[in-house]
Amino acid sequence: MTQRPLTPSRSLILPRRRLLAGAGALGAAGALGGTSLLSRLARAQDVEKPEEIIVRAWGGVWVESLDTGVSQPFTDATGIAVRHDLTEDNEIRPRIWAAVDQGRVPPIHINWDTTTNATKSALRGVTEDLSDLPNLDGLLPAAQPVGFDGYPIVNTYSYVYVMAYREEVFPEGPPTSWNVMLEDRFRGRVALYDDGIGFHPVAVILGGGSMDDIPDNMEPAWEWLRRLKEQEPLLGEDPDFTTWFQNGEIDVACTIISNARAAKQNGIPVSWTVPEEGAKVDTDGLWIPKGLPENELYWAKEYINYALSAEAMEVWCNSLGLPPTRPGLTPPEDLAGDPAYPSSEADFDRLISVPTPVLVEHEADWFAAFNEIMQG
Amino acid sequence: MTPGIDTAASNRPLWLRILFAAEATRAALWPERFSPATAWAFLVPAILVVFVLVAGMGYMVDASLRELDRSTFMLSDDYSFANYATVLDRSFYWHIIGRTVAAAVIVTVITLVLAFPYAYAMARTPSAATRKLLLIGLFLPFFIGQVVRAYGWLIVLGQEGLLNSGLAWLGLDAIKLIYTYTGVLIGLVQYMLPFAVLMLAPAVTAVPEEVELASGSLGANWFATLWHVLLPMAKPGLVAAGVVVFTLTITDFAMPEIMGGGTNDFIASAIYDGYFSISEPGLGSALAVLLVLLASTLVAVIFAFVGVGTLGYTKRLER
Repeated sequence: MTQRPLTPSRSLILPRRRLLAGAGALGAAGALGGTSLLSRLARAQDVEKPEEIIVRAWGGVWVESLDTGVSQPFTDATGIAVRHDLTEDNEIRPRIWAAVDQGRVPPIHINWDTTTNATKSALRGVTEDLSDLPNLDGLLPAAQPVGFDGYPIVNTYSYVYVMAYREEVFPEGPPTSWNVMLEDRFRGRVALYDDGIGFHPVAVILGGGSMDDIPDNMEPAWEWLRRLKEQEPLLGEDPDFTTWFQNGEIDVACTIISNARAAKQNGIPVSWTVPEEGAKVDTDGLWIPKGLPENELYWAKEYINYALSAEAMEVWCNSLGLPPTRPGLTPPEDLAGDPAYPSSEADFDRLISVPTPVLVEHEADWFAAFNEIMQG
Repeated sequence: MTPGIDTAASNRPLWLRILFAAEATRAALWPERFSPATAWAFLVPAILVVFVLVAGMGYMVDASLRELDRSTFMLSDDYSFANYATVLDRSFYWHIIGRTVAAAVIVTVITLVLAFPYAYAMARTPSAATRKLLLIGLFLPFFIGQVVRAYGWLIVLGQEGLLNSGLAWLGLDAIKLIYTYTGVLIGLVQYMLPFAVLMLAPAVTAVPEEVELASGSLGANWFATLWHVLLPMAKPGLVAAGVVVFTLTITDFAMPEIMGGGTNDFIASAIYDGYFSISEPGLGSALAVLLVLLASTLVAVIFAFVGVGTLGYTKRLER
């Protein structure tokens, strides 16, 4: 695979176009993607099957959706068991890097990862090329990672960092601005991710900056976050938000829509909105680490190929409440028209998208600046 | 083989035959001429463990001197102090280091104050039932991991937890202890208490009860006996417990992570972030090396003040 140098793009519109481009034209083809795929898998008997395929995944609704939409049908068709490794994406990455460096077999077959983190692995050269997967046909341009000719990663869906809120504290309807986080009544009752992921570009807007300030002038973001620090926010990971809402610890949070939706489906009185300043949209993807035995690599690729099929993607992504990179699929009923489930130009206009190369190069610095404010 | 004993005799009991076979094997593998080295041989496993630790630290020192190239996410081939400069340059690392050291000191002091009466009661109680109860109270927490205990505190101290429910029942305002520095300290003290009691108990038991009686008979009140007799004689235990609690606290990760609400990180959290969250193993290694240096230096200072002899090594050295 040939890598192009990753240079930060000044145009932050590019990702939105990539998420939409060709959606209409490819819709029909995309909807047909994966036809007879299970029978294809069943026919591939000449390659020795491993006992199991290990797929790293996030817990809760994330792994449940993958299991229902992809893993179980894959096992039914091939007889290969799928084990989900719930090691955090950040923790598995150095283990994979070390395994590849030392010429060992990596600890997993497939990594379900954020596109930003996956791109770091691709830049390091530890990912297999997936360009020969038949089901890449019909995917949106956004399925291909930026900065590479081939597919060291394949992006599978986009997701939005929404403002999740406790319904009872907003009886008059959803909050319209992220600035509600600064209200006195929410002191100690707001939450962000512990590195601020998903919020840095929003904070730039909130601090009076614009998208043109990213990444060279992030000071507006840090200024706004210093004010938020006075509110004594809680900082955590995906499961923390659910726990905090459930235990009445927080009223407002910036989290991925899937977490808020899962909480609501489990009876927690939480809803979500995209405030007027916008919300960050991003993508996740799948990749295979180098160093697998040939037959295991083959079946790992078949797993991803199946995951990209229309039949698998519809179940998997609808369960997560996220728009897939394959166009033409039926969205979940409860999210039709929801701006946090972007499917049109107008939806994406309300969202904030930062190109992956910018995130890869600068996100660590943003995490450090966020920590400097919150831990200070 | 022992002369004069028929080890092959079939009428010997099985355990005796196994014993003789083991002895014969030992004699074959470790002949008598090796006996001067026997004591050193027993040290080999410990030396190997230390070697693995030192080798690991060697790798960390090496990584800490290499900067991350963000175009390839590989560490550079060249050596530099850039990662150390980054740590020293960022004020929040100083904040985290200060917070961690302060917590280690506070937790050590509080834990020792709480552990001493517990160890004393365990050593002196005339009731076997009470001693058993205290022992159960001591060992039960060891069966419950740190993470589970931290989550237990979340239930007790949470917004709608036992504490605030009780306060509400009494008509009092809720207090916020969870996700605060105070909450982290409470969790750590509870976690460290059994370790401290375990280290203190033998030291307190070793103080003869007659010495206390003698002190009392000479006119000392209980405080004077405690201050002039018990504490000095239990000093080895206090120092050992203090060092263990201090080092465990200064390197702790789980309690501040779970109880701190994300804004009360310790150094271990920053190391974790370096290695995992931001994929900068060089920076994580630099922080890890600094933590080892800091903890080692502080423990060395403690020993410099109280003397290694308090741990019982002086007599052996003086012979």
